[in-house]
Amino acid sequence: MKIELNDIKHILARVEKPARYTGGEYGAVQPPADAPFCFCMAFPDLYEVGTSNLGIKIVAESFLRRGYAADYCYAPAPDFGEEIKKAGVPLYSLALKKSLAEFDMIGFSLQFELCYTNILYMLDLAGIPRRRADRAGKNYPVIAVGGPCAVNPEPVADFVDIVFIGDGESVDADVAALYVECGGATREFYRRAAALEGVYVPALTEVKYAKDGRICGFESEFSPRRAIVRDLDGAVFPTSQPVPNCESVFDRSIIEVMRGCYRGCRFCQAGFIYRPVRQRGVETLTRQACSLIASTGYEEVSLNSLSTGDYPNLRKLLKSLKANLPQGVTLALPSLRVDSFDSEFAQDARKVSLTFAPEAGSQRLRDVINKDVTEDEIVSAAQSAFDIGYSAVKLYFMLGLPTETDDDLRAIRRIVDLIKSAYGRKPRQKSLRVSVSVSTFIPKPFTPFQWERQASEGEVEAKQKLLRDCLYVKGVTLSWSDYFTSRLEGVLARGDRRLSRVIERAYELGCKFDGWNKYLNREAWTKAFEDCGIDPDIYTRERAEDELLPWDFINCGITKDFLKRERARAYQGRVTGSCKAGCSACGLQKVCPAARGQYSIE
Amino acid sequence: MIAFRYTKTDGAEYISHLDLLRHIYRTLRRAGIPLKYSEGFHKHPRIYLNNPLGTGMRSVAEYATIDTDWRGDFLSAFNSRSPAGIKCLAWAYVADNQNYAAGIVSCTYRSEGINDFDISSLMAAESLPVVDTRGREIDMRPRIYAVERVEGALEFTLGCGENNLRPDVLCAYLAKRYGGECRDILKIASHMAEGLFE
Repeated sequence: MKIELNDIKHILARVEKPARYTGGEYGAVQPPADAPFCFCMAFPDLYEVGTSNLGIKIVAESFLRRGYAADYCYAPAPDFGEEIKKAGVPLYSLALKKSLAEFDMIGFSLQFELCYTNILYMLDLAGIPRRRADRAGKNYPVIAVGGPCAVNPEPVADFVDIVFIGDGESVDADVAALYVECGGATREFYRRAAALEGVYVPALTEVKYAKDGRICGFESEFSPRRAIVRDLDGAVFPTSQPVPNCESVFDRSIIEVMRGCYRGCRFCQAGFIYRPVRQRGVETLTRQACSLIASTGYEEVSLNSLSTGDYPNLRKLLKSLKANLPQGVTLALPSLRVDSFDSEFAQDARKVSLTFAPEAGSQRLRDVINKDVTEDEIVSAAQSAFDIGYSAVKLYFMLGLPTETDDDLRAIRRIVDLIKSAYGRKPRQKSLRVSVSVSTFIPKPFTPFQWERQASEGEVEAKQKLLRDCLYVKGVTLSWSDYFTSRLEGVLARGDRRLSRVIERAYELGCKFDGWNKYLNREAWTKAFEDCGIDPDIYTRERAEDELLPWDFINCGITKDFLKRERARAYQGRVTGSCKAGCSACGLQKVCPAARGQYSIE
Repeated sequence: MIAFRYTKTDGAEYISHLDLLRHIYRTLRRAGIPLKYSEGFHKHPRIYLNNPLGTGMRSVAEYATIDTDWRGDFLSAFNSRSPAGIKCLAWAYVADNQNYAAGIVSCTYRSEGINDFDISSLMAAESLPVVDTRGREIDMRPRIYAVERVEGALEFTLGCGENNLRPDVLCAYLAKRYGGECRDILKIASHMAEGLFE
């Protein structure tokens, strides 16, 4: 069924930002309608969020390169969702305007846990049964998920057919080829797919529970392992990208400088699940940036990675980009660590506000989380930013970290004071603005803190109050994250298959866009847990190191022994430091260039 | 400077005014047409559009002036790099900003789907009060300059700018009073006291 915009123009006229739903973006590839395999890249959040995401463009490109069709669909805002449901118009893809149910595969990108209800929302609007069991034996698309949350896909396992774990560009299109070869989503297809690196088929794994409700075993003949692209420099990259119809969250070109991070901050899931560090070369990146700027007309290129300051040839790259990009194109370096901050890097952008993430106030606690940044480095980075004209700083911290005391939190005030006095050292035109943002620590799978207890509501509120009291300073604004949201994220992050009932119940009670404060329905989520007889606190508790964790059957490449060693070092307050300073044998040595002493591909 | 007339059709009618400005800016960047910028801290490219068209209404009579010294075949340079539905129809070199936002005093629209009615009795009315989209009561009559039937469609010229009347407000009123359903509104001409470049 092809949806004609003309037939829904009365709906488009009534909703907010209708350009989200019309497709036809400049530079969008019109996929071949008669391709042997049709893939729909589904993003369970709004258009302007999804169009900022680079990963989904890489995945779509990997299908297109193989001669398959790849189209996009984003979660419609509630106004449009309600209207099309009322009008009986199914959710459709943007380029082909094809009903989602007619695709061979729909792949949802799981960027964070609070988008899970939106998967159900989109399936519902597409007229596709939410549960795998209800689709069995019928001619529905293969429902797949991928992205960072796929390392623990168990909470959504009952809704999906295939989970892509790890780097999507390496395996996603192989599964399409297999589908074509097998003549559809047959039993043979699933069994052969399950044997591929980077594929997990939840139907072929059974979870066993002990009497006390804990997991006591996984039964499967397959052992899913994360897909890892060995050669990032030569990997698929879309050198022309659609320009969104309406302004997106990050309205600029993005190049991916590196994947993975050398640092291993113990709270950071991305720092572990994207190992090892792989890079693109200066020449490749320059070519990609020039092509993107010429084809999109954007005026900014963002150099993305988990820690761009660690790119060994950053100076060379910046020089090459400046020499080859049209004049006036600015470069954004969104992930600079204070110890790699160099005023030269920050010269380009408009000198307004700079963001630093010390994460913890005291040196002791920064050592516990392996942040490996000193107070002097923070202050001197701020100082050099002020000297080139910055007059505002954003500081990111966390509360509720393992071993944290009130003194650690009070140390945040000390950092703020030091930054203020660094600003006051010279006469400046504007007054300094400091904004301190404190989020709540959430233990995540495949990190050394995966066993930790998440702080309770009372503890978090007391900590937030303490911060409000000690950061009541002129020129300083404090923001903190909502406890309910953090707890829900924590429950889903370390959840198991039983949570699928809760997610489904929450959706039935009206939950969607849970990551948006204005849409989050706390009462409905609370009721959903009650209705299912599941106590969310069993997911935020401390886990025993010998306990089977819901994601233990997935091989991410990092060994559990390494994570335990790192946890022990955290409690000893010992920094492990960067992979560049020496290999800590995380388990990926065989595929890690840094483990062989190779820190640069040039 | 270059003044040009362009379309907002084929899906582009759903693009908001601010986003339209961005799309025109990026089209010119892709086409390699350099623009002059305003002075000041927040420099912005000198692109001047006519007043915003309501989202969802199509047009073949949008106008813009851009500040550039570029010389060449503007129409093909622009159209080969512009999004679907935003296409240049005519252009000219001009000496200064045509200020379409202030200069365009009325626009002619074509609408389909409203039942036949006696146009002269509508025009004979002394006042036609309605509540507009912002909830204000306005008198439409002095803002309606002409109404006629052309090949089954309704064509009407309404005030724009100071004496503005949204065509969808008039169409909703006519559909309610005379029956039918307004299926489409297309702006077919814009009028300026001193005339447009064409």
